[in-house]
Amino acid sequence: MSAVQVVGTSKIFNEGSAKQVDAIVEVNLTVESGEFVSLIGPSGCGKSTLLRLIANLLEPTQGVVSVNGKTAAQARLDQDYGMAFQQAGLFDWRTVGKNIELPLELKGWDKTKRAKRAEEMLHLVKLPEFAEMYPWQLSGGMQQRIAIARALAAHPPLLLMDEPFGALDEMTREYMQGELLRICAETSTTVVFVTHSIPEAVYLSNRVVVMSPRPGRIVEIIDVNLGAKRTEDTRAAEGFFRSITAVREALRGTHADHVAATAIRGVEDR
Amino acid sequence: MTLVGRIAYRTSMFVLAIAAIIGAWELYKLIGPQGGGKFFGVSILPRANNNAMPHVWDMFSRFGRPEVRGSDRKIWVVVLSGAWFSLRLSFVGFLLGSTVGVGLAVLMTRFRIVQRGLLPYLVMSQTVPLIALAPLVVSWGGKLEIGSFVWPRWLSASILGMFLAFFPIAVGTLRGLASAPSAAMELMESYAASWKQTLFKLRFPAAVPFMVPAFKLAASGAVVGVVVAEISTGLKGGIGRLIIEYAREATGDPAKVFTAVFGAAALGLTMSGIVAVSDLLLMRNRPKETTT
Ligand SMILES: Nc1ncnc2c1ncn2[C@@H]1O[C@H](COP(=O)(O)OP(=O)(O)OP(=O)(O)O)[C@@H](O)[C@H]1O
Ligand SMILES: [Mg+2]
Repeated sequence: MSAVQVVGTSKIFNEGSAKQVDAIVEVNLTVESGEFVSLIGPSGCGKSTLLRLIANLLEPTQGVVSVNGKTAAQARLDQDYGMAFQQAGLFDWRTVGKNIELPLELKGWDKTKRAKRAEEMLHLVKLPEFAEMYPWQLSGGMQQRIAIARALAAHPPLLLMDEPFGALDEMTREYMQGELLRICAETSTTVVFVTHSIPEAVYLSNRVVVMSPRPGRIVEIIDVNLGAKRTEDTRAAEGFFRSITAVREALRGTHADHVAATAIRGVEDR
Repeated sequence: MTLVGRIAYRTSMFVLAIAAIIGAWELYKLIGPQGGGKFFGVSILPRANNNAMPHVWDMFSRFGRPEVRGSDRKIWVVVLSGAWFSLRLSFVGFLLGSTVGVGLAVLMTRFRIVQRGLLPYLVMSQTVPLIALAPLVVSWGGKLEIGSFVWPRWLSASILGMFLAFFPIAVGTLRGLASAPSAAMELMESYAASWKQTLFKLRFPAAVPFMVPAFKLAASGAVVGVVVAEISTGLKGGIGRLIIEYAREATGDPAKVFTAVFGAAALGLTMSGIVAVSDLLLMRNRPKETTT
């Protein structure tokens, strides 16, 4: 069973009005269980829209989205996925531990079970002694790790992430990438990951989905063959650079074909 | 700063402010015109003589003397019990106002249409002069009979306190409930949280910084409402009634009315003090940008 299946899906905002935006058009994408798939493309090409459709935070104008073999709506009700955004989005008034417990609380878990799981999650993200702290007492990278812990607290099979490391410095970012891979391997979580960084997409992913704007669509899906276990050495491997070049070429395509020269600036080359 | 530190800081600022006011009062008595200042026949400066502006020490020493000559009831006892009476009424008004205000805010958040229909009327309600409303509420209350429930006269005063208290709470809470960031709302949606769960786990906590100042306004509003109601309906037992009674004796005993005024001020301060303490408790774990 596929973790995510997007079939012939379009999302048109403000249909029929002067402000109509064809955010994504006729997109087909299948993500298998255990896969790590990145979405990359210039700003405005519909990456966040596609992720929100999978999360059932948006209804498709056309087409079908299914998650874990269910409709996206049912999957949301069953909390089959966790989500993390660029801003950690932790609640200031809750301790770190209580933030992680939030999705469990909403599911009606009892107190001791919640606390136990929160502690496990804190160990998973290597911040075990921070349960009683408040989010605003933590660094940006720590907050993002807590947000990941929160997203995974209910052990969802699928993790949806929208530029989660976009606000972090380069060092922290690379560390977080390693951590994310370790966490997902330990919990065998499927990930759909939106990013602007080509090396980040390549380092993390089994497949990189390259998208182009106006209208938003998938131009190419690039397989990354770097093996299952990725280390810091991977970043120096020849295959790593080959894949980076392949993704960059595909992104040039989005540039040359349809896109105004300004649109490509949304993708970073680092 | 620690909680204790902040309380100490606020208290010392308060004492300083009081000292400044006393200083200004006595300074004006020294340099101000004894017969008041007139400008083209309109008096704009208050008279600085001892009848209009008694010395601060005269006012304070008045507290220690009996209410009326020959009585053994000291005036501070009378003022204190009057303030206590009005405090209880204000508190009832404040609680009623909080319930109504928060309830309306939740209703307006839940149903856009209620907000559009109701909000203009809420704003308009605050333009009705309290003095005009007071006798009406008393007479309506008198006619009200629900089973064996008899409308006590003091409840009318509390209702007027509520009338001034509910508005800032409704408006502040409404803004606060709407202040939850859209990313957080989206997060709750991704958890398939119900409206009620989102209300209690996200919207209300996010509203606290907006609600605290609203409750402070409401606390003083409740006191004003109750005191004005006591004055305009002549309700016995409270500080409002003492103010009008003592004001009549102002020529013979000018310091007397000030004891009641101080009682009213103490009443207002007690009410806002209660809210201020709950503010410190509610906000103690929030991020602190300022260190006051
Ligand atoms: N709620 C909305 N209403 C109208 N238009 C929208 C809405 N959300 C997104 N769009 C439009 O859809 C298009 C795709 O937006 P989307 O946010 O998916 O892009 P993106 O690829 O995530 O961009 P970025 O890299 O800048 O985050 C954009 O043109 C955007 O203006
Ligand atoms: Mg986006």
